[in-house]
Amino acid sequence: MNHGQHFCGTSAHDISRRVFLSQSLAVGSGALLGTSGAVHALDEDALNAALKKTGRNVILLWLAGGASQLETWDPKPGRPTGGPFASIPTSVPGVHISELMPKMAKRMHRTTLIRSLNTGDGGHGTGAEMMLRGRKNEAALQYPDLGAIVAKELGRADSKVPGYVSFYSQTEGRGSGKLSPAFLGARYAPMNLDDGPMPPNLSRHDAITDLGHRDRARLRDLLSARFTSGRETDTMRSHSAAYARVHGLMSSEPLFDIELEPQWVRDRYGPSLFGQQALMARRMIEAGVSFVRVSRAWWDSHGQNFETHAEMVPELDHVMSTLMDDLDQRGLLDSTLVVAFGEFGRTPGVNASLGRDHFANAWSAAMFGCGLQGGAVYGKTDDDGNTVTEDEVGAGELFATILAAIGIDPDKEYHVGTRPIPLVNPGIKPIRSLLA
Amino acid sequence: MSTTRNFQIAEEKKVSRKDILFSLARVPGTTTVFCGSSDGTVYHADLAEEKPEPVALEGEIRHRPGGYVTGLALADGNRRLVSGAYDAQLIWWDTETKKPVHRVENAHGKWIRKVVASPDGRMIASVADDMVCRLWDAGTGKLVAELQGHRIETPQHYPSMLFTCAFSPDGARLATADKTGHIIIWDVASRKEIAVADASCMYTWDPKQRRHSIGGVRSLAFSPDGRTLVAGGIGQIGNIDHLGANARLRFFDWEKAVTLAEVEATESKGLVERLAFHPGGDWLLGCGGDNGGFAILIDPQSHKVIYEGKATFHIHDFSLTDSPDRFIAAGHNGLVVKKIAVV
Repeated sequence: MNHGQHFCGTSAHDISRRVFLSQSLAVGSGALLGTSGAVHALDEDALNAALKKTGRNVILLWLAGGASQLETWDPKPGRPTGGPFASIPTSVPGVHISELMPKMAKRMHRTTLIRSLNTGDGGHGTGAEMMLRGRKNEAALQYPDLGAIVAKELGRADSKVPGYVSFYSQTEGRGSGKLSPAFLGARYAPMNLDDGPMPPNLSRHDAITDLGHRDRARLRDLLSARFTSGRETDTMRSHSAAYARVHGLMSSEPLFDIELEPQWVRDRYGPSLFGQQALMARRMIEAGVSFVRVSRAWWDSHGQNFETHAEMVPELDHVMSTLMDDLDQRGLLDSTLVVAFGEFGRTPGVNASLGRDHFANAWSAAMFGCGLQGGAVYGKTDDDGNTVTEDEVGAGELFATILAAIGIDPDKEYHVGTRPIPLVNPGIKPIRSLLA
Repeated sequence: MSTTRNFQIAEEKKVSRKDILFSLARVPGTTTVFCGSSDGTVYHADLAEEKPEPVALEGEIRHRPGGYVTGLALADGNRRLVSGAYDAQLIWWDTETKKPVHRVENAHGKWIRKVVASPDGRMIASVADDMVCRLWDAGTGKLVAELQGHRIETPQHYPSMLFTCAFSPDGARLATADKTGHIIIWDVASRKEIAVADASCMYTWDPKQRRHSIGGVRSLAFSPDGRTLVAGGIGQIGNIDHLGANARLRFFDWEKAVTLAEVEATESKGLVERLAFHPGGDWLLGCGGDNGGFAILIDPQSHKVIYEGKATFHIHDFSLTDSPDRFIAAGHNGLVVKKIAVV
């Protein structure tokens, strides 16, 4: 089956992502990226093999508003708190998940579950802030979020694509958690794609030709080189790097054009916005983006929890399983970690509106991909899901586990002035038994 | 607080429970009721007792624990009770022995939302989220017909839900209604769709803030003369995290395909889960709720709300008694007997 342009497979085409990007960006969007769909060509085996060697990436499926653990990963069928859904067996003997997730059930041997999150914060804003940082901000110190850390640690200094992209198309809860690179600096801030798949003002102005655009860049580079000669400072370097990134982004415009994906691939992800953005995330990971957050809001089902989950969980099941298969078939699952959680779970108790409320004391997260033991289920809750009974996990431990899975030492320290800032709070350790 | 004009509804008896009661059937001429629970069990109780204690119907056949029992209907001369649940099963029970006598294991492909009996008690209709209405012989439990006309998906490509159905008083017509507000009126004898009605005002799709849906038509009732069909649900919701809109009803002259009135109960939040006309047409009673419950009375002629009041809990089902000034309601954590009084 020919799903696009193929490399011949010789060593001559065993190029690195850096080489590919520099070549493709050098020729601009007209020759390679534009007409032949070079971004699509990134799906070639040789290139993906090279990409796989170069680094790891993360896709966060952010389940904003708080999905119910009882209707996903930790069902309690037949219990007073269990709700009406049954549980189904999975490909891991003895492990059952909600009947709403038959596709992930078949892929449980490649999935890692944590069923014992006790993060203690049932507020949308504060919970999101903590789950995205692994800890709460201090009054005098804001911590960088997960995406910013991954972009800094795994992003390539010479990358022309953004290191960190965030999709959040729904408006509810968009501001929760306040994505921020904090002291890492704006270089690691997310590119927010909230209102559409394409960054605003990305295209070259119609009045400027491609040749003119490149001539301007060369002139700026020439003048800049002369000016900075003998004046090497961080500011100068940052200034030049910023221009390079802008040019890189402009020439990688096809990266954001999902129409360049074959129809069968788009169909595979399904018609939902969440599915299409998950496909975008895969394209970005292939192109060298280190961290992509795909947000699916809004799970905050205080009323009609079961109908809301009947609507949204099958979509999650489809998107997660498709993403897993797609990454796997492209040889990217060994270099990409996919994590799915939100700011908290939902109460075991069912309220009079047949809703479940905020609950952070005993809930679940799911992950698959690089650095993890597939099929592992960590932690346990009681029969009704009210408390964690085994292997309690806090936001910090989850954060540390994610970092360790992608090869970042959670004990690494940054410095703000003279103050050392470890990536996770002192004493917090990753869950070693979940790491591959 | 009620906005009483001419009516008052007062609670006469309450049975507190820890489960949620979704369905109710009262044996005519008696004080016996059957109720369907969130624990997957059907209970019976004698409400004449000072402190009624619902007793579980037991047997080798039963619904799956946790399979909400959302439909109960007495049929075949009240000798049989038919229960339908989220486990997709229909179970026939002997009302004397309280034992199961027949089961259709996969009566539907998804959650059964409602089970009703034809007025003559000879036919059972069930609706489910597989979007099919099935007609069953009440005596034998044999499948008689399938009525298909509701769309499987909402316009936004999510699974739709077929919430409710109701027979006309003469049993010749059956109405079914879904999440998107689409209502179909069927000719029972020919199994043909003969009319449609639109209550899409009761379906809220939030495309931007939260990107999912809520609502739908939750209750239907034909007027005693069969000419008017009423749909109950909830109005458009701003914040779909909650059932945060007023209860809503839409009246149709279904034969003329005309909407007669739209009624919003301005002091009653949530879904209208059940509707029933006074046998003489004096009023229409609607009950439901959000985190709390409500009961409303509407004048069928003027379509005006003539009573609104809070109920003890979110009411999922009710049954008028032999004397229609009393009704028995089942819902969140309880069972109550209420009296409607003219004041």
